[in-house]
Amino acid sequence: MIPTPDPAYRVGDSVLPGDDVSAAVRTGDVSKIVLGPGLRRLGSQVVVSRAGVLKMPKNNVFVVDAYQKRYIPVKDEHVVGVVTNASSDVFRVDIGASVTASLSYLDFEHATKKNRPNIQVGDVVYAKLSTAGRDMEPELVCVDTHGKAGKLGKLEDGFLLTCSLNLIRKLLSVNCPLLQALGQKWPYECAFGMNGKVWIKARSVKETIAIGNAIYESELMDNAQIKKMCTNLGLVIDSM
Amino acid sequence: MADMSGQASGEDHKLRPFYCELNVLSRPDGSAIVTQGETAAIAGVYGPIEVKPNKIHIEKATVEGIYRPKSGLPCVSDRLCETTLQNTFEAAVLTSQYPRTLISISVQEMQDSGGLLACAINAGCLALMNSGLSMKFLVAAVHCMINKTGEVILDPDNKQLKDSCASLMFAFDNVDKNIVSSSTHGRFTEAQYQEALLRCRTASTEIFQLYRDMVKKYAPTMG
Repeated sequence: MIPTPDPAYRVGDSVLPGDDVSAAVRTGDVSKIVLGPGLRRLGSQVVVSRAGVLKMPKNNVFVVDAYQKRYIPVKDEHVVGVVTNASSDVFRVDIGASVTASLSYLDFEHATKKNRPNIQVGDVVYAKLSTAGRDMEPELVCVDTHGKAGKLGKLEDGFLLTCSLNLIRKLLSVNCPLLQALGQKWPYECAFGMNGKVWIKARSVKETIAIGNAIYESELMDNAQIKKMCTNLGLVIDSM
Repeated sequence: MADMSGQASGEDHKLRPFYCELNVLSRPDGSAIVTQGETAAIAGVYGPIEVKPNKIHIEKATVEGIYRPKSGLPCVSDRLCETTLQNTFEAAVLTSQYPRTLISISVQEMQDSGGLLACAINAGCLALMNSGLSMKFLVAAVHCMINKTGEVILDPDNKQLKDSCASLMFAFDNVDKNIVSSSTHGRFTEAQYQEALLRCRTASTEIFQLYRDMVKKYAPTMG
């Protein structure tokens, strides 16, 4: 048997499934440690369960940041989905998870048993997950706790594209300049679902394609490159 | 996006050059292409996805291995590969995290120049890494043969295999370096088996190091 070398992993290192990162997690105040996605407890050890970079987004909160395309529903996240079935009392919504989510027709603003929301199969909705867990079917709502729709609900017209979950998180982070830089070029509306689906509505097909491509391209760019790309994109589209 | 190469140093345990690339396919949730010498395999992982009622497990995910030969339909020996792939990955994936779902791992043979099953397992493991699914450990498979004079030759190609009297494949985990699966053909003594096992185990650390380098290389693209 070859003894496993036991390097001391630190926050910021790349880690593989099976690595024991107890030492990295137990630095500082150990009274309360939160293990996020990619980490699990195995007896007294903290073991990595996916390949990526060990990160500490907040004090004593640890996660392993990994590339992911498949969505796993999490409660209270906002998602964009496509209605695949509209039966008597619930809509089935494809949010890209292992099973379709259910969306009750009563969970819309001003919806009553008499007044059903006007939603057909193939419509795109922006909704919030009210329940999610590995043992239960995910459930969506299109109202907040005050019964107001806010930004939630059916998304009219527009274009839907799918990308990796990391890209969504990157674009929604506070310091990402893409959406603002694009907004300075053309007016547009968009909805980002944490499930990797993006809905875009711009004035013309040309602008929609430009915005869609800009989103895809920004996956491997840093902030300076994104700004530069948007400037170039604006010049190209304007000259067309 | 990027590739990695590694060649074992020292005559004692020499693996053929190992190249891999992650996220090569757009449709699967994770994908990888691996070449070991002239042998190449491409793998795609879908999961967790909806599972057929006749395959469902209430408490864990169903892991499905699919092996596609270079041409034609899968035959009996391909089915054996498929079963080995399935059993290996079922041990590696943290199936209890995804109950009532299916994790489907498809491996397509690109070229077989010896040690294809080992290459397929490595490709599948890298595709699983790329998909971000929770795993207990990683697996690395190493192929070796015993030639007619009784010597153990690590990671042989087609030419060398013509002179073999036994061919052995071992897959190891990266935590305790235990055997996850093994597949052997031909006749060999217990001592030869032990020697082959030891040499493959030593060589597997190299593949694990490549996996680690791979994660490091892809880390900046993860935002």
